[in-house]
Amino acid sequence: MARLLEIRGLEKQFLLHILNGKRIAALHSIDCEIEEGEILGLTGKSGSGKSTLMKCLYRTYLPTAGQILYHSASLGPVDLARADEHTIIHLRRTEITYCSQFLQVIPRVPALDVVAEPMIRRGADREAALGRAREAFERLGLPTELWDAFPATFSGGEQQRINIARAVISGPRFLLLDEPTASLDAKTKDAVIDMILELRQSGCSIALISHDAHTMQRLASRRLHLAEGRMEEEVHA
Amino acid sequence: MNDMALNSGWLLRVRGLTKIYGQPDGDSIARTGPQASTNICPVTGAIVACAGIDFDLYPGEVLGVVGESGSGKSTLVQLLYFDQPPTAGSAFFTALDNGTTDLFTLSNQRRRHVRNHLLGMVYQNPRDGLNFNFTAGGNIAEKLIMAGSMNVASIRERSSNLLRQTEVPVARMDQTPRTFSGGMQQRVQISKAIANHPPLLFLDEVTSGLDVSVQAKVLDMIRQIQSELGISMIVVSHDLGVIRMLTDRTLVLKNGRIVESGLTDQILQDPQHAYTQLLVSSLL
Amino acid sequence: MIENKKFQSAYNFAFLDERTKREIRRKILKAIALPGYQVPYSSPEMPIARGWGTGGLHVSLAIIGRKDVFKVIDQGSDASVNACSLRQFIERMTGCRTTVDTAEATLIQTRHRIPEEILTEQQILVFQVPQPEILRGVERLETRTRSMHAEADYSKLWVSLYEAYVRYGSLMRGAGYPVRVNGRYMMSPSPIPRWDVPNLSDARCLYLFGAGREKRIYAIPPHTVVEPLEFEDVRFRVEDWGATACAYSNARDAFLDEIYEDDSSRKFVVNDSNFLDKLRTGPRPPQRLFRNPQ
Repeated sequence: MARLLEIRGLEKQFLLHILNGKRIAALHSIDCEIEEGEILGLTGKSGSGKSTLMKCLYRTYLPTAGQILYHSASLGPVDLARADEHTIIHLRRTEITYCSQFLQVIPRVPALDVVAEPMIRRGADREAALGRAREAFERLGLPTELWDAFPATFSGGEQQRINIARAVISGPRFLLLDEPTASLDAKTKDAVIDMILELRQSGCSIALISHDAHTMQRLASRRLHLAEGRMEEEVHA
Repeated sequence: MNDMALNSGWLLRVRGLTKIYGQPDGDSIARTGPQASTNICPVTGAIVACAGIDFDLYPGEVLGVVGESGSGKSTLVQLLYFDQPPTAGSAFFTALDNGTTDLFTLSNQRRRHVRNHLLGMVYQNPRDGLNFNFTAGGNIAEKLIMAGSMNVASIRERSSNLLRQTEVPVARMDQTPRTFSGGMQQRVQISKAIANHPPLLFLDEVTSGLDVSVQAKVLDMIRQIQSELGISMIVVSHDLGVIRMLTDRTLVLKNGRIVESGLTDQILQDPQHAYTQLLVSSLL
Repeated sequence: MIENKKFQSAYNFAFLDERTKREIRRKILKAIALPGYQVPYSSPEMPIARGWGTGGLHVSLAIIGRKDVFKVIDQGSDASVNACSLRQFIERMTGCRTTVDTAEATLIQTRHRIPEEILTEQQILVFQVPQPEILRGVERLETRTRSMHAEADYSKLWVSLYEAYVRYGSLMRGAGYPVRVNGRYMMSPSPIPRWDVPNLSDARCLYLFGAGREKRIYAIPPHTVVEPLEFEDVRFRVEDWGATACAYSNARDAFLDEIYEDDSSRKFVVNDSNFLDKLRTGPRPPQRLFRNPQ
């Protein structure tokens, strides 16, 4: 298996000017790798730094030190911690997708369009993208009357399914999944897990955060445990 | 469009853009800025609206410019749209002479060509962007005529398509925008701005002053136009919600200087500069 | 008592002093060199009020010579009060012969019409212009209209034409229809009717325009292309009276005036008085006619 990602000495501190320059250390010298086609599960208590790590990988957080070497299909090796913004935007549009547990609602855009959008952005035909979106909604059991509705008023579980459908059908090469099954019932949870496994089959590598033991057990091929911003142990699934 | 971002490099390159009103001396720029918390030179009284602005805009990219009133963000786009001349600085635009010519050195005639063919502007106040003595269709026709369209039937067809695209009832095409609602005036302005398929569009506080539902509609329309036509945009707003929804990358301006720039979600979730942190923490 | 002959008459030949004439002539030459371009000039005071034809008078007096035969028309008529006074004034100031015969005149000053009869290489037509700036209707500031001309930025004029079409269903613009001269400057042909506009193009005579109040001179040299503004699908048209003919001469194909009688009946009469006279007394004089597009 080829290496997709290498993290070396990653540090993240928050410097809070509005609290008189207080520093909060969130990650301490993180080292780890992700191989192509693997699902790396991140475990740890709330506040242990799992989401911070994910956001550093997506560059929503600016790493304070260290290196995140990502082997891009189109650009070759890229240090996500230092790469210029245009490279990051390019990678986000073509290879790396972030799927959080919260939906960033776009006002007055129907659910189907929200889901189809990233696929269209990647050059897919609009009708084909909408077809894939419908298919995903069906599998995730989203009631048909919601498909053309605006997601702003949806329940947490419904919004989460939209998020997952959006992330999965865009066909990412590297997917960051933050609590994909948090507010779903058992049946939907399994549908989500199946979809993610299929995505992995197609060659996608995934970093996963989940507090749900079942999800973690079914999905993660390898696990890393974080505590107080440090990598503690490596658990083989 | 998206893949072009890396292959063809920047679309617009701005360097050292500066606008000073009044009579500055050699140190006026040094005496102003975020460290001095003012853009008025204490010695000469000159107003440094913006100074030393550097940035690159990429094809298909939407760049946000945020900052409080008086931070110089509107001045920035007005300079680039030739509404006023800069005091110093240069701007290169690959749609013109392959980016080898500084926009600010152009003759008036070429400048107008760039304005009409290669740029679009949507102002906060529709009166700045529309001629209220002309009909809505006439306002759009002006841009089309400037681009050489000399056939009334095709001008009217294109205008009505543009109005349809921006959800303005075509039945109102032959009325003056004076009788339109604020949201509709803004949409006519957008129709006019995109009439000649410019590769670059400036949006200056387009949704300020509109009520929330109309605002959402206008924003959605801008998003649609952006994804359908792949137009690059510079979006000026003091509203971080607008910036979050529309932009990929953001410049934060204070007292006429860029204090921070980065990916929009990074600016909003992990702001580095004290001022940006204050701005973000003031978000409702 | 000054013996010099020069000082024995009250006024110089053609009223204006020679330096003023020279200045106006220089401006006329510049105007001819730049067809359709408005050349600013001194516009000195005259013994008539501005707005009564001072611009036309400046031009006529600056170029008239002793051998010229002079004619004045006002809206097609040689007999209006204004035409009579101007003719008399020039006659007195120059001693030149005056005429009402269009063919005989070498210099014609006109208000709001071009004679129907073809003008030749031997003739100059001088227009009295109230508002020389064709862009004034769409742009109020002189600084802006000047740069618009300089940069050939005429989109607003086109839009106003488009707007006229949208509002009235045709390119309605009764008089002063905008024209492009020599492919460059947009020009106001002074308020001549649309009927006369095609005669500006490729003419054999020289056209000079004087706007006294606005202090501008402009010109259309002979054989210059002058195009009325029109869209590809909405074309310029001249006035059309259908089957109506002149009540006196029974002629068609001339600009007709609508005249109301005291008993409120109305009739149509050829507007060009000399042309009407010729129609009634002899063969039809040579005329250049424009056919509206189908």
